[in-house]
Amino acid sequence: MLEIKDLKAEIEGKKILNGINLVVKPGEVHAIMGPNGAGKSTLSAVLAGRADYAVKGGEVSFNGNDLLEMSPEDRAREGVFLAFQYPVEIPGVSTTNFLKTAINEKRKYLGLEPMEATAFLKFMREKMELMEMDKALTSRSLNEGFSGGEKKRNEVFQMAMLEPKLTIMDETDSGLDIDALRLVSAGVNKLKDGERSFVVITHYQRLLDYIVPDFVHVLYKGRIVKSGDASLAKELEAKGYDWIKAEVEQEANT
Amino acid sequence: MLLETIKKDFIQYKSQAESGEFLTLREAAFAEFEKLGFPTTKHEEWKYTNLKSITDNTFQSTCEIKSLVNELFNASIESKLTANFLVFVNGSLVNELSKIIEKDNSIVISSLATARKNNQVIFNQHFGKYAKVEGQAMNALNTALLSDGAFVFVPDGKTVAHPVVIFNISDASDINVLAQPRNLIIVEEQCTLTIVETYYATGINASFTNVVTETYAGKGAHVEHYKIQQQAGVCYQNNFTQFFQEADTNINHVTLTLDGTLVRNNLHFYMNGENCNSLLYGLYVTDNNDFVDNHTRVDHAKPNCFSDEKYKGILKGHSTAVFNGKIMVHLDAQKTNAYQRNQNILLSDDATVNTKPQLEIFADDVKCTHGATVGELDEESMFYLRSRGIPENMARKLLLTAYAFDIAEKIKIPELVELLEQKIDGKL
Ligand SMILES: Nc1ncnc2c1ncn2[C@@H]1O[C@H](COP(=O)(O)OP(=O)(O)OP(=O)(O)O)[C@@H](O)[C@H]1O
Ligand SMILES: [Mg+2]
Repeated sequence: MLEIKDLKAEIEGKKILNGINLVVKPGEVHAIMGPNGAGKSTLSAVLAGRADYAVKGGEVSFNGNDLLEMSPEDRAREGVFLAFQYPVEIPGVSTTNFLKTAINEKRKYLGLEPMEATAFLKFMREKMELMEMDKALTSRSLNEGFSGGEKKRNEVFQMAMLEPKLTIMDETDSGLDIDALRLVSAGVNKLKDGERSFVVITHYQRLLDYIVPDFVHVLYKGRIVKSGDASLAKELEAKGYDWIKAEVEQEANT
Repeated sequence: MLLETIKKDFIQYKSQAESGEFLTLREAAFAEFEKLGFPTTKHEEWKYTNLKSITDNTFQSTCEIKSLVNELFNASIESKLTANFLVFVNGSLVNELSKIIEKDNSIVISSLATARKNNQVIFNQHFGKYAKVEGQAMNALNTALLSDGAFVFVPDGKTVAHPVVIFNISDASDINVLAQPRNLIIVEEQCTLTIVETYYATGINASFTNVVTETYAGKGAHVEHYKIQQQAGVCYQNNFTQFFQEADTNINHVTLTLDGTLVRNNLHFYMNGENCNSLLYGLYVTDNNDFVDNHTRVDHAKPNCFSDEKYKGILKGHSTAVFNGKIMVHLDAQKTNAYQRNQNILLSDDATVNTKPQLEIFADDVKCTHGATVGELDEESMFYLRSRGIPENMARKLLLTAYAFDIAEKIKIPELVELLEQKIDGKL
């Protein structure tokens, strides 16, 4: 599904990703953890196609296509979805109109007819129920005046609507209350079908209680320095990152 | 040269005019105009606005009306409204297109020329009292050589059920034309009125419109005033609008400038009583070599008044926009609340904006804020939309439309907003 080879990226001359290697197979859930400033959001932004970051080396292929060559919209229409760490507020653009445009643009790209208005509304209502999204929220401007938790829930609601093949969640759990955390996890688990894959960036084990990862990676200084199974997250929760940092330093010295 | 034509026009007018108060007023105005001359970029208020392309040209006043204006009128958004219509071509009333549906006989909706005969007392009481000619060359010129215009009188306590549409067409099919419409709107105590002032143009020659609108709002009156400028072709316009507000009045004004070669809007509010609300909203969408200048002035002359001003621009091509927003808080205008914002989005490297807020505050207990921005579309918003599969051009349009509709929606006639939004959409 996703194959990242030796990916290097920088912003304003500052090296942030220093050779990332990661393979995500269909149906897998990968968790990425790591200290603040390690480059997790940068990795997700590069994968989604944000132009501010200059890719300085490496390759990314997505279902056989060169992802780095594609525009952000084409990546989305091929099935990549990024749930943003900080979703932007867009006044004047209604959530409904935005989603209808997004879905129909994707369908057009895939050679499908646009969704009928009634079918769309029915589909949207289903997903709103799933995410327990209040009607008042979707009738408002996109994210405008939403609370932090509501914005995050809206990201997952959009994911549910767009049914991506690969979802990258950038700290979607941060700022969520316990109930919202359950909802978000349910949204993800509902979408799991053995084909769709997830890359879940998080600082906390608690999300991984609900969305159980097949692999856990630690990103530090722009590199994946350790990988393991779900137990690695528990170990990190208990011990923090110091021991990993120490390991990295030691390796560098030898 | 325009000046020579104008001098001839005035001599001709004088030779036919009846003597009396009105003539004396106009002679004085012409003397003031001759003293001042056309504004040049040496005047502080006209620093960015060069009228040379107008003053070096010739324009003629004409009363001839062609049938093709009917088509233009009938094809317009405004003509679809349930409303009272006063239609002017090159400043002259077109009877067959004008239509008054107001049933209350105490409410007057007519041409200015008719009102001067039929409503002399009211006319003399208000005409020229609010839009000053002293030091205002273009107002002086309009007063001296006004063509015709709209007259609306709403007596105490009345509500005008449907909007009054003042529909102006510049027809430059044969020659360069000059029109100097003059509107007088008198809304007495506790009245409600909606005005739609709209400008179109046709023809391959140039047109110059120099218009003055005076509105008097009596105590507790509510006036909605929408100005829509979409003159295609080579069209110059100087537009002066003065509101004079007594206590407890509410005025909601929206200016949409969607086309025009050179448009200079002067929008003035004078709050002559307490508890007034003045809302000033504007949107300009410019392209090619268009030039749009919005000069606004709000005089907070009395305490406890509120003004909110928001002007937004979208600039394409080699176009230029000017915004100058003056807020004068007079000495005894305590507890004034005044807000002002000017935002601009430049879609081309060749477009220019000059924006200047001007706050002059003489009272000490006031709340005033202002801000101006000039920039491109928000990168983060663009990326967010694109990351959901919306292509770049569509994402841009979604954002621009949202940005523009924020102003268009201040117009409280849903049918008009809907059609205008389609129009704005087309321009983006
Ligand atoms: N626009 C920018 N200009 C300069 N430095 C930047 C910019 N964006 C990110 N960085 C830097 O890149 C590094 C990685 O940032 P990134 O947001 O990817 O970290 P992160 O792992 O997501 O951290 P967190 O856990 O706090 O979200 C940080 O040191 C950050 O300051
Ligand atoms: Mg981050």
